Amino acid sequence: MNWKQVLPLIVLAPALALAQGKGPSDPQIAGIVVTANQIDVDAGKIAKSKSKNKEVKDFAQQMITDHTAVNKQAGALAKKLGVTPEDSDTSKSLKQGAAENVGNLKKLKGAQFDKAYVDHEVAYHQAVLDAIDKVLIPSAQNAELKGLITKVRPAIAAHLEHAKHLQASLAKK
Amino acid sequence: MPASAARRHEVRIEGMKFVPERLEVAAGDRITWTNRDFVPHSVTAKGAGIESGDLGQDKSWTYVAKKPGEFPYICRLHPVMHGVLIVR
Repeated sequence: MNWKQVLPLIVLAPALALAQGKGPSDPQIAGIVVTANQIDVDAGKIAKSKSKNKEVKDFAQQMITDHTAVNKQAGALAKKLGVTPEDSDTSKSLKQGAAENVGNLKKLKGAQFDKAYVDHEVAYHQAVLDAIDKVLIPSAQNAELKGLITKVRPAIAAHLEHAKHLQASLAKK
Repeated sequence: MPASAARRHEVRIEGMKFVPERLEVAAGDRITWTNRDFVPHSVTAKGAGIESGDLGQDKSWTYVAKKPGEFPYICRLHPVMHGVLIVR
């Protein structure tokens, strides 16, 4: 099993463990949402500067735009609700996974870089989607927080679909 | 068709979908797309010269249907999003 296959497990293991017992609190959920978005903005910035492939660069720009927009909404809601995003095992795992991904991406160039970035985006969005469905939505107590995550879900699903198309297109080259 | 007969139609962009995804209108009708998502979208049919530009949250764009035909369109920013405008 390579790191790309391991990543969703790293992301999900603490989240699923929480789901079996007590789920994350609303401040922890806010922390997971903010962290998950920021990670993909950061990965997008690396891809935008390193990739030479227009499709990959466009996708990376989309990740930067969309995840920034979501975090703006999440930040505004947290402020409105008086919730301070908190760290949790899940947000820590996300950060750890992101650091490993960035470390790996920085070593690669050209087609190898594009493949690694896009493969990771597929795995990452799948893991986030699973966490949304199995942990974040079921655990969120505040209706507006639950509503925000529910509203964000289709964007994550569309990103996953877009990333899979890109993955298939890169495989043909 | 007399101008007074022109109708207005609304398409919501919500949950990364065009709602309704398929819309039939008459030539001369006005169609307004409104983005209800957090993320920006566009209404784009390159071949037909339909391009809304980027629409932020709660922003609208109106297009007057001119020539008859079937115009599949996408969100340029999220090419997995599809809609079709049919002008009779």
